Amino acid sequence: MLSTQLDPSKHPLAAYIYQLESGQALLPDSPIHVTEVVGILKSYGVVLDAYSINLNYIADHQCLVILPFFKYFNGQVSFAKLLQHWWHDRINYEYAEYCMKGMFWHGGGGLDAYLDTPDFRQRAEVLIRDKFKTNPFMLGLHRLFPDFLPEQLRMMAYYSGLGQFWRVMSDMFLSLSDRYDAGEIKTIPDVVSHIREGLVAAASQPIVYNVQLGDRTHEIIPPSVGLTFLADTAIPYVEAIFFRGTPFPGTISYNAQAYQIPFYQQDFAYGALFADPLPIGGSGIPPTLLMQDMRHYLPDYLRELYQQSTRQEDDLRVKICETFQKSMFCVTTAAIQGLAPYPLSTTTLDEQRANRAYLENWMNRFVTSRIQEVQV
Amino acid sequence: MLSALIWLPLLGAIVISCFPSTVSSRTVRSVSLVLAIILLVWTIVLGSQFDLTATDMQFTELLPWLDTIGLNYSLGLDGLSLPLLFLNALLNVVAIAATDPEIPRSRFYYALIFVLNVGVVGAFLAQNLLLFFLFYEIEILPLYFLIAIWGGQKRGYAATKFLIYTAASGVVILAVFLGTVWFTGASSFAYDPGRSQLLPLGTQLLLLSGILLGFGIKTPFIPLHTWLPDAHVEASTPVSVLLAGVLLKLGTYGLLRFGLSMFLDAWAYLAPWLATWAAVGALYGACCAIAQQDMKKVVAYSSIAHMAFVLLATAATTRLSLIAAVAQMVSHGLISALLFLLVGVVYKKTGTRDVQVLRGLLNPERGLPLIGSLMILAAMASAGIPGMVGFIAEFMVFRSSFPIFPIQTLLCMVGTGLTAVYFLLMINRVFFGRLEDPFDKLPQVNWNDRIPALVLVAFILVLGLQPNWLVRWSESESGMLLTRMSMRTPPPVALTAKIEPARLLP
Repeated sequence: MLSTQLDPSKHPLAAYIYQLESGQALLPDSPIHVTEVVGILKSYGVVLDAYSINLNYIADHQCLVILPFFKYFNGQVSFAKLLQHWWHDRINYEYAEYCMKGMFWHGGGGLDAYLDTPDFRQRAEVLIRDKFKTNPFMLGLHRLFPDFLPEQLRMMAYYSGLGQFWRVMSDMFLSLSDRYDAGEIKTIPDVVSHIREGLVAAASQPIVYNVQLGDRTHEIIPPSVGLTFLADTAIPYVEAIFFRGTPFPGTISYNAQAYQIPFYQQDFAYGALFADPLPIGGSGIPPTLLMQDMRHYLPDYLRELYQQSTRQEDDLRVKICETFQKSMFCVTTAAIQGLAPYPLSTTTLDEQRANRAYLENWMNRFVTSRIQEVQV
Repeated sequence: MLSALIWLPLLGAIVISCFPSTVSSRTVRSVSLVLAIILLVWTIVLGSQFDLTATDMQFTELLPWLDTIGLNYSLGLDGLSLPLLFLNALLNVVAIAATDPEIPRSRFYYALIFVLNVGVVGAFLAQNLLLFFLFYEIEILPLYFLIAIWGGQKRGYAATKFLIYTAASGVVILAVFLGTVWFTGASSFAYDPGRSQLLPLGTQLLLLSGILLGFGIKTPFIPLHTWLPDAHVEASTPVSVLLAGVLLKLGTYGLLRFGLSMFLDAWAYLAPWLATWAAVGALYGACCAIAQQDMKKVVAYSSIAHMAFVLLATAATTRLSLIAAVAQMVSHGLISALLFLLVGVVYKKTGTRDVQVLRGLLNPERGLPLIGSLMILAAMASAGIPGMVGFIAEFMVFRSSFPIFPIQTLLCMVGTGLTAVYFLLMINRVFFGRLEDPFDKLPQVNWNDRIPALVLVAFILVLGLQPNWLVRWSESESGMLLTRMSMRTPPPVALTAKIEPARLLP
């Protein structure tokens, strides 16, 4: 007899599949979760704004600058700023670079593919010759090592790509916070829906990269390449930063000797959804940098919530990391919903089956993530 | 001046116990803390007026009391008792500061602490054998109650065991004192080493054996030690601090004051055996510490091992070794008190001391990072890492004992090497690794828990960098003891051949 109903899933994380199919998020809906997620995304939005400005500044103004001493100053170099920098009273822009390098290393999407094309290589060559036209030393080096400067330019393209991606995300998170303050966001599904709508709205936004040298504009990623926000930056970002991540410098050798690093890059699981919030010197992008930045911009209601815990603000960065992880499961939910082959609320059996297979595929990747831990 | 150190705490104990029950525990604690600080300041004042060159008792006080039985109120201070007096005053402040502000039956608790203080201070100052015995006995009861009332689950067992052992120790010591007066024909119990040294060797050996047994229980030396791990495990943290920091020192103080000083011939005769006993004790204590699962037991067995170094130095009987013995007493007092304080904080926050259960407490965000760091420092100090007081004391012990008893000293040095083994094993298990559930939600460590430990750390470091502030008090006293010894009797062959008193000292 032909079944008219979807069979129960045999996946170990079936509970989350049902959760998604019923319109819920990977993070259970509760007033505290809403407060936590919106609060942390507010501070994340502020920090992403700063990261995005800096990444775009580096891409636009520090392009092919071999020793970019003042790349974190956004063009405003002064002694007072220098003192602030040394005193470490600043945003940890290094975190943004870690993420950029993570994306660059893992690749994926149209951006990665384009940067390996002859078209890019040709545009890079023109820029390099223009940039160093009065610098025979660099041109000589370029002749000797023809791959070095193009590789730098690829990295600059990623600076720009991530900068543009975070620009959208920052605005999206800040508007989420505004809507929450206005009483429009009340549940976790509201949060997810806000993010999903933001992602969908920006999905086809073009990703372009131009470098200005004097009065000449070099189009490194022209609009004609057709790179777009969702497919060419958002999805590779989620893959590289949420899932795969990177064993950060210093631990690679040790972990490799202990056979703790997967042989294949696609098997990496050091991303934000897997990261251990307790700083133990393990692998992954050091989350403490981001947490340290976010602690300055926590809204009062979230700070008060943290104050009610046993250690109050003693372990603030860990709490921020735990909350951040919860929020990232919401963002992932939005991505899952947005990329689903059919609306998850579909009543057509075939579409439900296709969605089920799609969701089980996602869940395969969550088996070792911290999805269980964020449920409380 | 000295009487103030005895009567003031007694007065304090009486006043505190007369507080109405409406007075909060915090108030009682504050009053006690102020009184303890006054006593500490008074001890420092005494130290500032102490004549380092004098070889006789200073600040002596003598009041006739019960002449008919030879008991007089006779007090005095010398280079042997002053460092211990200071250690006691300091640890008293630390113990009160480390006490839970909301401790139940607070008036009784703090009154007992001060009565304990009376007993300890009186014993260190007494210049009459019977007076010493009275003070020695006085400290047993408050300690019994402190363990039996505020102790852990098996507190009754531990307190009773402590009582039986230390009461037995008291009985033996009293018998020795009576025997000394009997054999010397003295008319009083006045402390007079000159008389007892005239006794024949056999009598001295008999009496010294009693001293070794009595004070050996108190110190404790193996196999008389079994009360100590139980007492430590069941005692609350402040009581463990006092027990390890000060009360054990009564045993080694007694050995020096009433064993070595009063029975020089017998001491010289038994010295090689005592050194061997020390070596066995050091190794046994270290091996037991390695095998323990309870952090407090590790520290307790470490105490047994480290107190054996005092016996080794005392057995060597050179000027440097006697200074080293006093230094080791102070050093061990500070370090073991710190270790017990830190273990106490770990227990308070996690609810366990089991090294098989605890993990990752050094976690900077959710663990006990400062406490863990101080524990590492304390372990380093205990293992004799240079720059801390443990190194100074242990180096002097081994340097001064090696020419006299090379084999025993080498074995003790292995024991100190094992200190690093058992403490690193404990630290590795408890503080390193990942902080697992349920310990990732530990409550905050507040400054009340940190400050007492930081104070002790300051002393451990300062005395490690400026050891003269530790050893100068006992230089004259040990020199005098040695002079007396060389005048009295030819020491054993081993000693005459190798003793080079004061070679390392100006």
